[in-house]
Amino acid sequence: MRRFAIGLAGHPADGDDLCQMTIERALSRREQWQDGTRLDSWAYRIMRNIWIDESRARQRRGQTFVDEDAGLLVGADGAQEARMELGDIDRAMARLPEEQREAVLLVMVEGYSYKEAAEIVGCPVGTLNSRLVRGRDALMALLGEGS
Amino acid sequence: MTITAEELAAFADGELTGAEKERVAAAIARDEDLARQLEAHRALKTRLAGHFAPILEQPIPDRLTQLLANNVKYEPGAANVVDFAVAREERAAKRRLPAWGWGGAVAASIAAVVVLSTYSGEPGPAYAGTQIAQMLEEQTIAEQPSGADERVLLSFRNRDGEFCRAYNAAGEGGIACRDAKGWRLEATDQGEVGGKAQYRMAGSDGEILEIAQEMAVGEALDADAEIAARKAGWRAR
Repeated sequence: MRRFAIGLAGHPADGDDLCQMTIERALSRREQWQDGTRLDSWAYRIMRNIWIDESRARQRRGQTFVDEDAGLLVGADGAQEARMELGDIDRAMARLPEEQREAVLLVMVEGYSYKEAAEIVGCPVGTLNSRLVRGRDALMALLGEGS
Repeated sequence: MTITAEELAAFADGELTGAEKERVAAAIARDEDLARQLEAHRALKTRLAGHFAPILEQPIPDRLTQLLANNVKYEPGAANVVDFAVAREERAAKRRLPAWGWGGAVAASIAAVVVLSTYSGEPGPAYAGTQIAQMLEEQTIAEQPSGADERVLLSFRNRDGEFCRAYNAAGEGGIACRDAKGWRLEATDQGEVGGKAQYRMAGSDGEILEIAQEMAVGEALDADAEIAARKAGWRAR
């Protein structure tokens, strides 16, 4: 959960805030979780919904999340955060549109199948597939990899 | 015959099967450019996985674990009674830990709970031995000494309405349900006993309680309900 949160938020501190909100909401809505379904997918769905709401709210307030470069510095200051390598990948991920970033994270980092990832995100599998490809290509271009 | 970028990605991520998979594989074999793209996709995946992996190794911040810990409901005199719903959430927290992410962890925890359904017909269900059976028959959670070697962890009813009890007897943990013959073992962390036992394997109190939580219908028995159940010989209805 932290990994997905930090990946989404692009910043360890924001990621942990997101994690905390997700756990709180999941606990308060625990009766909505259906037995026999995957608890992790359910939690991830909650997390991305919170993240989307939060992003919109911040945009309305005219704030961005911690400024990209400042954010990286802030992260590197903390004892715990320092362990996470902050570099090209975070910067590149931060440039991706939200929907591409979450597709890349769910499939390439969290290892979900396209179908599972599409269910979490709430889009058709084909859409997830093309978001993934676009996100992947953008990442490769930003990282100077690929053909 | 062209292969789209989407198809290539799906192939690289193991999403394709059958004829589709073969078609893409054949195209890649013929086309160096496709092969290079496949390689690039895989390389990126490896790099991303490596980049995010350290997060799993980091200690989880206290404020997150406390959210979960604070929800554990300890009842007076029944130190081991765990709120079922809370146990569920705690499992969610544990699943953050393994290096292969939740997918693998969930699969692993489900594997631990898979019923060993080797119904060989002959050997029926296993039953608890005299000593454990006696504890299950007589001991209530409220009365047992807190540091006792032989402890009942949880009492509950299963789908059939039988009374079941999770226990830990000197490190040997399990779950048994009372039927006409005695305390029938439903789960144990002792591996296979007597060959192909048909009960489930578990590894720790946590797992035992997790299995108990899955078997249980309704709330765990409280102190009064335990005494009433004992009076009824732990027999269903």
